[in-house]
Amino acid sequence: MLYNIRLHLHYDYERSAAGGRHHIRVMPQTMPGIQRVIASSLSFDPVSAERSEFVDFFSNNVTSITYRNPHETLDVMMTARVNVTRPPTMLDVSPNLAALQKEIRSVWSITADSPHHFLTGSSYAAIDPEMTAYAQQSLADSRTIMEAVNHLNGRIHADFRYDAEATDVRTSARQAFDLKAGVCQDFSHIMIAGLRGLGIPAGYVSGFLRTIPPPGEVRLEGADAMHAWVRVWCGREAGWQEFDPTNNMVAGNDHILIGYGRDYADVSPIVGVLKTSGSQEGKQSVDVIPLE
Amino acid sequence: MTPSPARSSIEPGLLASYRPLPDVADEMIDPSGAVRPGWEKLLNTLDQIGPEKLATRFARASQYLHDAGVYYRVYDENGTQEREWPLAHIPLLINEDDWRSITLGLTERADLLEAIVADIYGENRLISDGLLPPDLIAANPEFLHPVAGVKPASGHFLHFCAFELGRGPDGQWWVLGDRTQAPSGAGFALENRVATTRALSDISSEMNVHRLAGFFKDFRDSLQGLVKNPQGRAAILTPGPNNETYFEHAYIARYLGFMLLEGDDLTVSKGKVMVRTVSGLKPVDVLWRRMDAAYMDPLELKTDSWIGTPGMVSALRQRSVSLVNALGSGILETRALLAFLPAISRALNNRDLALPSIATWWCGQETERRHVADHIDQMMVGPAMSTRLPFEDMNATVLGSSLDDEARQALLVKLQKDGRGLVGQEAVKLSTTPVYVDGKLEPRPFVLRVFAARNKNGWSFMPGGFARVGLTLDTAAIAMQRGGQAADVWITSSAPVRKDTLLPREDDAFRRNVPGTLPSRAAENLLWMGRYIERAEGTARILRACHARYAEAANTELPLLTAMRKYLKPLGVELNSAIPKGLLRSVDGAMLSAGRIRDRFSPDGWLALRDLSKTIHRFQDVVASGDDTTRAMTIILRKLAGFSGLVHENMYRFTGWRFLEIGRRLERGIGMARILATLARHEAPEGALEMLLEIGDSVMTHRRQYSVYSGRLSVLDLLALDPLNPRSIIFQLDALKSEFSLLPVSGEAGSHMPAYSKNVLRLHTELAIMEAEELTVEKLHELAYEIGALSDTIADTYFA
Repeated sequence: MLYNIRLHLHYDYERSAAGGRHHIRVMPQTMPGIQRVIASSLSFDPVSAERSEFVDFFSNNVTSITYRNPHETLDVMMTARVNVTRPPTMLDVSPNLAALQKEIRSVWSITADSPHHFLTGSSYAAIDPEMTAYAQQSLADSRTIMEAVNHLNGRIHADFRYDAEATDVRTSARQAFDLKAGVCQDFSHIMIAGLRGLGIPAGYVSGFLRTIPPPGEVRLEGADAMHAWVRVWCGREAGWQEFDPTNNMVAGNDHILIGYGRDYADVSPIVGVLKTSGSQEGKQSVDVIPLE
Repeated sequence: MTPSPARSSIEPGLLASYRPLPDVADEMIDPSGAVRPGWEKLLNTLDQIGPEKLATRFARASQYLHDAGVYYRVYDENGTQEREWPLAHIPLLINEDDWRSITLGLTERADLLEAIVADIYGENRLISDGLLPPDLIAANPEFLHPVAGVKPASGHFLHFCAFELGRGPDGQWWVLGDRTQAPSGAGFALENRVATTRALSDISSEMNVHRLAGFFKDFRDSLQGLVKNPQGRAAILTPGPNNETYFEHAYIARYLGFMLLEGDDLTVSKGKVMVRTVSGLKPVDVLWRRMDAAYMDPLELKTDSWIGTPGMVSALRQRSVSLVNALGSGILETRALLAFLPAISRALNNRDLALPSIATWWCGQETERRHVADHIDQMMVGPAMSTRLPFEDMNATVLGSSLDDEARQALLVKLQKDGRGLVGQEAVKLSTTPVYVDGKLEPRPFVLRVFAARNKNGWSFMPGGFARVGLTLDTAAIAMQRGGQAADVWITSSAPVRKDTLLPREDDAFRRNVPGTLPSRAAENLLWMGRYIERAEGTARILRACHARYAEAANTELPLLTAMRKYLKPLGVELNSAIPKGLLRSVDGAMLSAGRIRDRFSPDGWLALRDLSKTIHRFQDVVASGDDTTRAMTIILRKLAGFSGLVHENMYRFTGWRFLEIGRRLERGIGMARILATLARHEAPEGALEMLLEIGDSVMTHRRQYSVYSGRLSVLDLLALDPLNPRSIIFQLDALKSEFSLLPVSGEAGSHMPAYSKNVLRLHTELAIMEAEELTVEKLHELAYEIGALSDTIADTYFA
């Protein structure tokens, strides 16, 4: 599936920021077997004093920008053309939990894809007995890890209410779990925390989702959003598989990938240190336009 | 043997009552009961000095530490507090041969640790070869993902390490833990040495004790050697005055002549770490960090760190700065890692460690877990990822033998369930060394901390200096947070030792440090300290004058006093309390500013300021209004004059001194303009002019130059316009004008003269051509405002 993607992030500072430094992770990247980026560009207003790019531990593209002069707003504009070609859903070749744990122990590596990074609690997705117990219920009738994860994916979709007002970007998995509500970020964190509690390696995926307008209606300009879902290590053979608990589906050609992390903190679209005493307000608009 | 009559009259020696513990090695007494070499001499001398004189000498040592302001911070339920440094006065003696084998073992260990950390953040061969479990690294909070793959600019991860050693019952030294993050204690070791030598100078010179200075000189040169940029410099990075060992950071910075910086002093520009100074941004090539890695960069590490420098990790990626030690080195402190060193040593070096670690088993492995469970009575069991020594961490570490059946069962269950999170270590009984308690020597367990610094040829070791000695026989009481003490450690030689100091030898090349490197934050604190000190002095003068009148006048509703009450109120100064809050605030403010720049303070200056602060806080509870306050203020003013004298007579005219002086002059100018506006107005109450002269310290001058009668204009002339009166407004402007002209000018300014210089020149000229009658109340208020504005301009130019 071929897409044009446009992202516009806009920040208003209550008091003008004397300077600042930001790391931005919004560029889709080419990932063999998943997607290919044909062209992309990223620009900022005001133009930053310094700009550089690097690749982080989890292989994400990061753009670093620095401001030295006062500014009251910051605009981040990204456009990309991406061809997403995920393989059709594969046969379930994943092991059961006991076998999975043996397989994990046989991975003598700490590269970015190693399951070992995704087993312990992280700041947004701390391991917690109640979330673990919640996830545990999905193990009962499942013969394989993928069955269990699919089951959990469906339960989270059913048990939690989608509510953009209930949480914000700082909400932890446990807070959202108690609220029984949240957005894609929260559902992903709950799923990650639950799986890690069971000893199943789980990570966070940041990206975009194509929204299909109801029949007869046209796609609304800027109405799409950034999206998040979950990747799970399902054993040596099945490897990493991606699940979307917000929509109760396996990630497919509607899911355009930006990057991977242990949780939101590793892949948030923008992290920054600003010299300002006031608060800030942000807006985002996203367009995912299919070209086929 | 019967004592001879001559000996029976004196006290039995210290040795007579010393009782080492059974089954525990002792540093002074060997297993056969004989005194070990070296100690005999020490014991004899201590006996000769006798208990009374010893008490005086030990008190002298403690007094020295007190005067030098040596403290550390403890954290308890009441928050944090400064505590005096707990010196155990008897040094621990280690003979040179023992020491040599310790340092040989530690050299091998330091190189091994370097190889391990380079592999953890590099190729990961130890993991793929099965020598390090991947989950121990990936799940380790000290494993910093953002620096994986980043090679240190200096070529090495480790430059300065410490090792905690203990001696077991069989006399063998063991490494209990490695300190690779940001080891502290080296500066305290120096102070231990100075203090102990004060008490025992006669013996220390006789006993050929190895000196410590050479180690520091060597390390200073090594750090300088890592500076690659001709404009670059090495500096020490501190978390700030609230850190438990801030004293040491400031002390070492002063001792080695390095800048002491906080994260906010630094900025990253075009991938380079720069320090904000009053002369603009200057490159920093080497940072000896005393800050834990996680706090170093809020962008890529701990996002809620307020003490870091955004962009630091980016600079590391560009290899433009060397950190001592590299970020991520803290992972080597992980307790569970000790379990894997023996096999790694065999794999990499083909031999066992010469100096073994305390026996350790990581319970994430089946066989090891079973071993720990089977020998639980001989084990300490604690968190695998802990970076602290077991005895520093007794809340989380349990001693198997101390558990009842139920607790022991619970521990065995926990081992089974959460083996990966636990580590078992052999419960060793540490050897003891004597401490002096109530005129007697008593054995106490101790841990020896050995410092190693990388130099061109490998590692150099600080010969002695630092042991932590338990408060009681319980090993848990060694931790200083729990009342442990620190002892000097003497490495004794059979031959005379080399006398090194940090001073260059006669044939050393002469080198001047790069000038103009005053960090902006330090400059700001110096300016504010000057302002606070002067504000305190101004307030004390006014209070003295007012309370003298209180004491004389029957009527407290005297118009003059009512006017003063109105004047002082907005300054937080109430006349009915003897030591008003406003005055305390000024003194506290001066202390706070001074505390942030202790590396720039001489111990005398610090002592004078602390004495002032203590005095005034003591006065607060005991001094009454009126005459009593007058006397108290005279004492305060004398102490302030003492401090000012030190600043004026002893402080080198660095840029830092100028900021201090500018602060004083600004405040004095503002204060004088304000008080003149109140007391030199036409309708001022009776006695106002006499009081002004008194506050302005100008009674005698006025009498000599004008007449006995104080006229309004003559007082204004003397206190505002007379360029020879050090209290007049124009005198302050004069001083500011010349100080301003000596401040560093940043290259970016587009004008020939900086704004503050233009403004002070304008003000000065205006006042210089003015007559006393033109000085209206409005004009005086305007002057106070304009001088205040000069302060803001300086701040905008240098502190932004």
